[in-house]
Amino acid sequence: MENPGEGTHRGGSLAVSCEKVSFSYPGSERPALSDVSFELRPGEYVGVVGPNGGGKSTLVRLLNGLLRADSGHIRVSGRDPATEPFKVRKHLGVLFQNPENGLVAPFVEDDVAFGLENLGVSREEMLGRVATAIQAVGLEGYERREPSTLSGGEKQRVALAGLLAVEPEVLVLDEPTSMLDATGRREVLEYLETLRAEKTVLHVTHHLEELAGADRILLLNGGDLIADQTPERFLSDADLLRENRLVLPVVPRLALKLGLSPAKLHTPEALAEAILARTESGTRAG
Amino acid sequence: MRLELEDIRYVYATGTPFEVEALRGVSLAVEPGEVLGIVGGTGSGKSTLVQHMNLLLTPASGRVLVDGVDARSLEKSGLRRRVGLVFQFPESALFAPTVEEDVAFAPRQLGLDEGEVQERVSESLRSLGAEDLAVRSPFALSGGEKRRAAIAGVLAMRPEVLILDEPTAGLDPATREELLALILGLRKSGISVVLVSHDLDEVAEVADRVCVLHEGMVRAAGTPAEVFYRDPAQAPATVRVASLVKVSKAEIGDPVRFEETLEALGALRGV
Repeated sequence: MENPGEGTHRGGSLAVSCEKVSFSYPGSERPALSDVSFELRPGEYVGVVGPNGGGKSTLVRLLNGLLRADSGHIRVSGRDPATEPFKVRKHLGVLFQNPENGLVAPFVEDDVAFGLENLGVSREEMLGRVATAIQAVGLEGYERREPSTLSGGEKQRVALAGLLAVEPEVLVLDEPTSMLDATGRREVLEYLETLRAEKTVLHVTHHLEELAGADRILLLNGGDLIADQTPERFLSDADLLRENRLVLPVVPRLALKLGLSPAKLHTPEALAEAILARTESGTRAG
Repeated sequence: MRLELEDIRYVYATGTPFEVEALRGVSLAVEPGEVLGIVGGTGSGKSTLVQHMNLLLTPASGRVLVDGVDARSLEKSGLRRRVGLVFQFPESALFAPTVEEDVAFAPRQLGLDEGEVQERVSESLRSLGAEDLAVRSPFALSGGEKRRAAIAGVLAMRPEVLILDEPTAGLDPATREELLALILGLRKSGISVVLVSHDLDEVAEVADRVCVLHEGMVRAAGTPAEVFYRDPAQAPATVRVASLVKVSKAEIGDPVRFEETLEALGALRGV
């Protein structure tokens, strides 16, 4: 196993650290996570992939203190989510799969303010943070809209704004686009992309193409951390992909089969250009 | 069976301020034994259209013909047996304690003897690679397994045309590929399949013909190559790549399916 993060430092300046973390659900014979170790350094964008039941959702729940590890150590900005879940949630926000479940208030602006209301910030500061968060997800003008009238992509952006208002350093994205259509997916991904510069991000997804620009990709299968690699190496490893039921989208899959780099060539334009460049140079060489 | 739709119009909420003309004169045919892909954006009329194929919706005007016979003159239950419709997220209708009982539900309503019902249940599950699921509870299955169990329930009616409305929605990519392979298997067994999808990449892999709907009208219809190369910007990823390469390497032709495209592009390597 390739795992550069394994058991080096503890907590400290790391955004997230997991050291030999194991967890089993009550009554289950098989651990949901076993001996998982990795680290997120501040500012990193790390993807998490793997089949259903691989341990992805369990990891997310351990990180925000919804579950408590059976053994091992977890630190989020230096704190243990199992003992200080509310403090940890100021530092780490989770964007879940289904935006329907999270939206509770009558108007968009109330929803965005909801998470802040329990943090004891002044009303003035709250208004400022809500406005900034709404702007960050491009929903200016939607403040007095009812969440139920919004599209799936817009609802997910409202949920994201609610997280941003709390100003966490770490964002955990738990398949945030899986319930959306293609348009909704694109718009949510676009806003997530703009957050990269200022947040540490852990992005759980079934869509490998969303991680082509990540710093690293973690693969969880059967509760084990199978790989912790750069997208470049990860997406080029056909055996690893096949053994773990991971399917590349059409363009990077074509690239891989043609012996080109799937991580860099995930748009039709880039791939076509690379193919033409190679045939041209082949002509000259021959 | 040849199923033909002739100039179908359909209006939702007729006579109210919310009146919407969902279909504005759609004509198309489902040929025996083919996979017809119906594509189009949200609101283009795809789901409304396929509900006309077994007269679940009655057109405001236009006709549905089954082997040349007006479907309105046929007995409805017989028509719905021959033209099976699998709705979006069909697993939400699973209800029985085991998968086999769920699949047996519809054939039992036909008054078949129990031996025949059991034979249909196992045939149906087998054709979807779901024999192992027979005695399991539908509620304990994964997303892909539930989807197959629900499709099996419609297949057990032995339809001649099987309509699948967004059958891969919400499935992970590996499960989706498996389901597409099963669709090709069904066609091999002689069933016509109508695949409704907004995902051009998956339609490219399985369709013999494609019909593009836009605002309730047929914008284009034909073989995948004819339809997709006419407007490569609105085409599956394979066609988008190939059409860009084709500008300077015309010899690659009009590949659509993944393997076809890979072969055409790979052949350029030695150039």
